Amino acid sequence: MAAQSLPVVAILPGDCTGIGPEQTARILHDGRLRHVARLVYVGDKRVLDMGAKHAGVTVDYVVYASVSAVDWNDPRVPVIDLGNTDPSQFKLGELSPESGRLTGETLSRAVDFAKAGEIDAVTFAPLNKQAMFKGGWHFPDEHKMFAHFLNHTGPFSEMNVLEGQWMTRVTSHVSLRSALEQISIESISRALRLADDTLRKAGIEKPRIAVAALNPHAGEGGLFGTEEIDIIRPAIEAMQREGILCEGPFPSDTVYLKAFAGHYDSVLAMYHDQGQIATKLKGFNKGVTITAGLETVFTTPAHGTAFDIVGKGIADTGAYEAAVKLAARIASRKIEERARAA
Amino acid sequence: MTPRPLALTMGEPSGIGPELALMAWKARQGQGLPPFFVIADPDHLTALAEKLNLSVPVVVTEPDRVNEMFPLALPVVPLDMAVVASPGTPNVADAPAVIESIRRGVSLVQSGAASAVVTNPISKSPLLRAGFPHPGHTDFLGVLAEEHTGVFARPVMMLWSESLAVVPVTVHIPLAEVPAKLTQDLIVETARIVVRDLVQRFRIQHPRLALAGLNPHAGEDGTLGPEDAAVIAPAIEHLRSEGVDATGPYPADTLFHAGARTRYDAALAMYHDQALIPIKTIAFDSAVNVTLGLPFVRTSPDHGTAFDIAGTGKANPASLIEALKLAERLSR
Repeated sequence: MAAQSLPVVAILPGDCTGIGPEQTARILHDGRLRHVARLVYVGDKRVLDMGAKHAGVTVDYVVYASVSAVDWNDPRVPVIDLGNTDPSQFKLGELSPESGRLTGETLSRAVDFAKAGEIDAVTFAPLNKQAMFKGGWHFPDEHKMFAHFLNHTGPFSEMNVLEGQWMTRVTSHVSLRSALEQISIESISRALRLADDTLRKAGIEKPRIAVAALNPHAGEGGLFGTEEIDIIRPAIEAMQREGILCEGPFPSDTVYLKAFAGHYDSVLAMYHDQGQIATKLKGFNKGVTITAGLETVFTTPAHGTAFDIVGKGIADTGAYEAAVKLAARIASRKIEERARAA
Repeated sequence: MTPRPLALTMGEPSGIGPELALMAWKARQGQGLPPFFVIADPDHLTALAEKLNLSVPVVVTEPDRVNEMFPLALPVVPLDMAVVASPGTPNVADAPAVIESIRRGVSLVQSGAASAVVTNPISKSPLLRAGFPHPGHTDFLGVLAEEHTGVFARPVMMLWSESLAVVPVTVHIPLAEVPAKLTQDLIVETARIVVRDLVQRFRIQHPRLALAGLNPHAGEDGTLGPEDAAVIAPAIEHLRSEGVDATGPYPADTLFHAGARTRYDAALAMYHDQALIPIKTIAFDSAVNVTLGLPFVRTSPDHGTAFDIAGTGKANPASLIEALKLAERLSR
């Protein structure tokens, strides 16, 4: 693909008290993702400078006022300097509400570029959910915040991606009681459509989706709960009629093993811990988190700010690079589709 | 005194239990298995061994002769009735034999003829149709224990493997009923039984318990549900005031990785799948079901009757083998 047709991906340093800045500097300094996307750094340049120092690298960059002004023939890294975050004001490896507030502000500025059509996707280094919440961004997670920024009213969801497997869930950061209330034929159908659509957009032609049951032993024929009979199975059957390759409900203690063995591309969980226990054990924290269903593509490494190793220059960038690649892949297909439609 | 043998029940004869017993005996040397006997219909086992080309000789014997027979043949303590057994299709007519095998197992361990009971999987529906009034295997064992000792026994299910021991506080109930069923008393009582058996049977002097939260992120200071702070945390406080090394509630999704597992001897999960998902993910083939709170040691493989592969020889005896090894270790 010619450089000019590569998608434009904004790359953000995440919370400046975490490992994000040094990871960002490392993947920008040697142009290792140049063939994947046109990367533009959006954030404070002092944060990038600090990251470069921690990583022990030099990032050759040039500052632009806006993304539309970037000269993509210049081999240097384009930087949009927001001038909003002085990292010397914060202690490394320590949660700071003010840094959380600024992390959210930087994300919202990146969304503005997306709304203006100047970037195709956003990949951000780890943020700290608690710092952002305490800094005034009162959302249960960043996905809801992005939807809010974009005035998005349709379905959207977090997905966890590792080695071609896409894990998602019907309910997310809510109490178990609320999750039980939110499980319906409609919400499951919505989640299945969203998963199917997202996987197709990522280039998986016929996504195979396994659906987890809610109750022990998948309800044991109604003995341990009737949601499988009354809600989950009818939803699966309705979606099968729409052409979605979904199966289940499967007992949740083995459904992930089936997927890990390669029988499915995706598992739909009913609630947070049902999905997170198995996927975290499988190493999905080395994977990528994507916000599915929004107009702008958002990806981030699934790991956190790793306060224990900040500033040492040893943070691994594998998941972060995978996040950029995934954002670029989905954005590229979107651009192609738009070109075909035009 | 020579160690007493383990009693292995027949389980549902149309399921995979009987063939697993044959396979486990075949693996006795490689696996270093302790002597055990099956309480079953010897003709059925002989026929099944022939059908599966397993070349396992079967010998009818009494428990006190099992140790000398075990190297030569699979010792069978015979039931008084023959079984019908057609692999994959349970027959209600076999229900009395299934129940009798369990009864005899408990009697033999209570009389001292066996050191522990290892149970093969049973199927609920044929037993229910035959009038069996107990909701499950484990509940039945609790009732039998009480019949023998006159003391109320509250069985507690533990899933065990070399790398994780986990106990679900609520078990076979709909998930929607869990928040209401989960009380401080239930958590405290369960934890006490777990601690007692970790000390007495697992020989862990100062057991460390880690309790999972009910809600995502263990409720995140109450914003994701009240039970973690209102029910689980006070139960932990109570246990600590009794001298129990209990900690939590921890977010369930970060409680089971290798690093976390070094910090406790058993985890308490709040509901069935919160316990089963991690144990199956970590130890799919080799996890064992252990019943705590009984006056005797009882273990079983943590899978079901697997009617879909019964009689084909495809069943994997790994979990039964681990169950036999653990039963021996706990009853030493």
